[in-house]
Amino acid sequence: MAETRVQKRTLAPWMGLLLTVLGALSNGLPFVGFPAAPVPWTSLLLSMIGFVVVVLGLWRAFGQSAVYKGKLSGSIAAAFSLLFLAGAIVFFWSARHIPAESAAAPQVGQRVPDFTLPDSRGHSVSMTQLFSGAAGKEPPKALLLVFYRGYW
Amino acid sequence: MPVAISVDAPEVSENLRRKRGYTFPFLSDPKAEVIRRYELLHTRGGPDGTDISRPVEFLIDRSGTVRWENFTEDIRVRPRADELLAGARAIR
Repeated sequence: MAETRVQKRTLAPWMGLLLTVLGALSNGLPFVGFPAAPVPWTSLLLSMIGFVVVVLGLWRAFGQSAVYKGKLSGSIAAAFSLLFLAGAIVFFWSARHIPAESAAAPQVGQRVPDFTLPDSRGHSVSMTQLFSGAAGKEPPKALLLVFYRGYW
Repeated sequence: MPVAISVDAPEVSENLRRKRGYTFPFLSDPKAEVIRRYELLHTRGGPDGTDISRPVEFLIDRSGTVRWENFTEDIRVRPRADELLAGARAIR
């Protein structure tokens, strides 16, 4: 008598895809108040677990095709997760790297060059003026010069 | 006192300053002259290949000497407030 076999679905490729998407997105965490970390461990870990789950899903679909179905959907999920992995690497790794071309920038113990620049109301301001402080206020003992990218 | 410096035009900086409610000065260096003098130019780092400043913070005392700085090659690495405050406390 022929045994009726019902093939099971496997959600593994989709779970893997979800994890790699989360892994890619979590690269943005340092910008929403997460503590600064030089290595994005959260993203790397999520992406790696996602990749393992995708591989597990493919192994189920292809290696154990008697038990599991989903060769096509598994492959689609795997392709998308690879895309997200590659995207995460390109956009959040290389694109964020600032080339080290500032060998002659001021270092601790060195004096910074003086400057005169317009403030946000168009008035010209020099470093000396900044140190002399506003009228009626105690002049600052230190300045924190924050150079930032702009275009916000 | 913090002083923010970027290539943004004064109007753009004023808009940002107001929106965030900052009271410290924002200085404009559209031609990146001072940024270049400080050797901080990030060539073609901005939108459409424009030159911008790399993100750096210098704590300077009244003689203009750098007492603390945060220099990074990865924009994820932000200055730590406790390190900055330790640097500021050392200035009398």
